[in-house]
Amino acid sequence: MTDREIIHQYLKSLTKYLSRLDKTDTDEVIKEIESHIYDSIEDLEHQGINAHVTGILEGFGQPRQLAEQYVAHILDGASPPTGFKAIQSVKKGVTRSLYYSMASFGFGISLLLALIGIIKIFSPHSIGVWSAAQGNSFAIALSGGLYPNSSELLGFWLIPISLILSFLIGKITWRILKILKQKL
Amino acid sequence: MTNLNSLNKKWEAQLRKGTLEIAIMAALREQKLYGLELLKLLQSLESMQITEGTLYPLMDRLKREGLISAEWVQEGDSRPRKYFQLTTHGKEKLSILTTMWRQSVIDVETLLTNANCDNQNIKGVSND
Repeated sequence: MTDREIIHQYLKSLTKYLSRLDKTDTDEVIKEIESHIYDSIEDLEHQGINAHVTGILEGFGQPRQLAEQYVAHILDGASPPTGFKAIQSVKKGVTRSLYYSMASFGFGISLLLALIGIIKIFSPHSIGVWSAAQGNSFAIALSGGLYPNSSELLGFWLIPISLILSFLIGKITWRILKILKQKL
Repeated sequence: MTNLNSLNKKWEAQLRKGTLEIAIMAALREQKLYGLELLKLLQSLESMQITEGTLYPLMDRLKREGLISAEWVQEGDSRPRKYFQLTTHGKEKLSILTTMWRQSVIDVETLLTNANCDNQNIKGVSND
């Protein structure tokens, strides 16, 4: 094997053992070590010493052991770098916006369903679930005349169904928001 | 004898574990160095005989802790090299470690030379 092949083999093996890291982290480690190997070769040649690649690689140790040292502190040990605080606040912002969008989405649907149920009680003919095109499409509408050949589904069952659904969706939204709030 | 040797080695390894961090930070205090330069500087010191396999993962950890920063620099036609430098946070930490280190050396020295003296004498020594 030529020197280049030995180096390539070593780095390939190291890449394999570093697979638990992000690709960017792995690439950086490999690039750094490769750069050091060539620096060492140049340095030895500059001093008139015959460079042995295997000797240089011995300094790094077995790829597996070397990789373990990186993986150990990257995955569990070290405290996050300073820039990490910014990431955390971005994360917090995401959670906050998730909280409010979840609240408006969930309670919005709940309120809409409750309204449908209530309007149906007071004005039974103006709202309903309408089916058109032989059941190929259906719509909840404030008027039955919107679709030609449409027929009303559910009838007065719409009242309990929409009210119960409204209550359930409201309750689920409330529970999800409670969990999200703990993480805010 | 072998047992004693291995105990010595173990102690040396433990001592180096702590001192290496401060040594690297001190080496980078006033200058940017690339890996091989830093390694050669450390290896020129009797108690800092470390290998590449120890240095690079440690540099990676120091970088993640925000104590040092690294940048790839290309000079002329040469291959790019990764230069390390102490960050402001690293400088602050180095100054704290320096105080602790110096106090520790004084304390151990005091005990090594004055171990038989009464407690009052020993307590009186400080690096203030």
